[in-house]
Amino acid sequence: MASKYRTIQCAAILLLTAACAMPSQNRPQSRDVTSASSTPIASRAGAMGTASNDTLPPTSQTSIRFAVLGDTGTGERRQYDVAAQLWKSHETFPFEFVILVGDNLYGSERAQDYARKFEVPYKPILDANIPFYAALGNHDDTNQIFYKDFNMGGQRFYTFKKDKRGSPGVRFFALDSNYMTREQLNWVDKELAASGSDWKIAFFHHPLYSSGGRHGSEVDLREQLEPLFLTHGLNAVFAGHEHFYERLKPQKGIYYFTAGGSAKLRQGNIRKTGMTEVGFDADNSYMLVEIAGDIMHFQALSRAGRLVDSGSFTRQPPPSQP
Amino acid sequence: MAYPPTVMVALVVGFVACASPQESAAQAPKSVPTTQNPPRANTVNAYGAATKAFLDRVQEYMIFHNNVEKMVPPLTEGSHPEEITKRGMALGAMLVKQRPEAREGDFFIEEYRAYLIKIIQEDFAKRPMADRKALLVDMPKDVKIGVNMVYPPVLPLATFPANLLKALPELPKVLEYRIVGQHLILRDVTGNIIIDVLRNVIPIPK
Repeated sequence: MASKYRTIQCAAILLLTAACAMPSQNRPQSRDVTSASSTPIASRAGAMGTASNDTLPPTSQTSIRFAVLGDTGTGERRQYDVAAQLWKSHETFPFEFVILVGDNLYGSERAQDYARKFEVPYKPILDANIPFYAALGNHDDTNQIFYKDFNMGGQRFYTFKKDKRGSPGVRFFALDSNYMTREQLNWVDKELAASGSDWKIAFFHHPLYSSGGRHGSEVDLREQLEPLFLTHGLNAVFAGHEHFYERLKPQKGIYYFTAGGSAKLRQGNIRKTGMTEVGFDADNSYMLVEIAGDIMHFQALSRAGRLVDSGSFTRQPPPSQP
Repeated sequence: MAYPPTVMVALVVGFVACASPQESAAQAPKSVPTTQNPPRANTVNAYGAATKAFLDRVQEYMIFHNNVEKMVPPLTEGSHPEEITKRGMALGAMLVKQRPEAREGDFFIEEYRAYLIKIIQEDFAKRPMADRKALLVDMPKDVKIGVNMVYPPVLPLATFPANLLKALPELPKVLEYRIVGQHLILRDVTGNIIIDVLRNVIPIPK
């Protein structure tokens, strides 16, 4: 374990040195948060160059491991590149499932589109029986809820749990952030309340906090969801919509990640908002996440397989009951 | 026997609703809301009556929709993409075919429009211009909309502002409000059909 972190530290030092040589607007913010081993090392320079595989291995054999992809369904070269790199990462970090944070299929949604924009690029993953769990984005037809490989159970919002012996369970909440009805809000409230001592992770398309120049934070949605998240002690949120990677400084104790750059890219779109812990908008990206006991380890990698962010944090204590 | 206050309110509302003209629902062909003879807002709570009339039409539409759904093969989890696509198109076509006389105002009836516009205006009055402009970012340009038209399946749907949605009467799962340009539409989700349009009510820059 110690040697692994030494490696990370060395990599961080090298990349941060490179980052220091870059113009300041291109330099990632690299402030540590509460994590014991956070090593944000995003850089524009780090994204380019030849393909590599900086994927960090999991820390535990009994951990829960998953990948996060966002805004994927273009059917174009970048999506295929990221998919191939993700599969390469699986050799080092054998993730057990993948969450999709929306915009799973851009444009037309004929059978051949499902193939070209999902089934073909992720064929090795699907062939390995690694399930995907999708949330709907603003480009997605609602009928995707019936597509078997999205595992949505015919619902626009749904929950599922992953657990392993020796680890606390992880309860996931896939929400439809396009259309936040009272029914859905009531459901979120009820399901979060019922999820007990599990880790609680939500994923949906629109980021509640974002430094994106195109969209920015979804304030309306935040006003509706955040009180529920705080009341019930949600731990982390994964979103997309913005076509880049951003790890935000914890907002009211909750960790927010934007991972919408897994096929599309909005280069240079991250503004200086003061909310960014690490941002990466120089190339496409994806995330790998591991939950080992009370620690969540995360890493973000570029299309070329470069590590652009990594770190970990301890599960927040549950909110005190009134 | 004394009724709790909530029951009394429900009884009064029910009585008022029954006493208000409801010819439209009675005269309309089964399951097909029309714009004829909308209820007059001559009750104590005009907005309440108008909202009720709107929701009655929605309810009526749901009966219609559910009947039409039975005419196309059902979707289940695990459906093949080809089935999903074909079924969506078939349902949309059938919904249009079974409601050929549908027109604007079938649901957003005149009395209800004023209420709806008031809700929208009050919501947007709280929004800064930047927020209004942000709504435009994902909104497809130059989309032709009209009743019984298919919402272009290749175009995204603008995310509906969550606070505004909370202020509007709740719809069944099959229906949703959406904003297209400066217009509010009512959309059948599973058939992807526009079933009503309220034009030029969204105060966002053109």
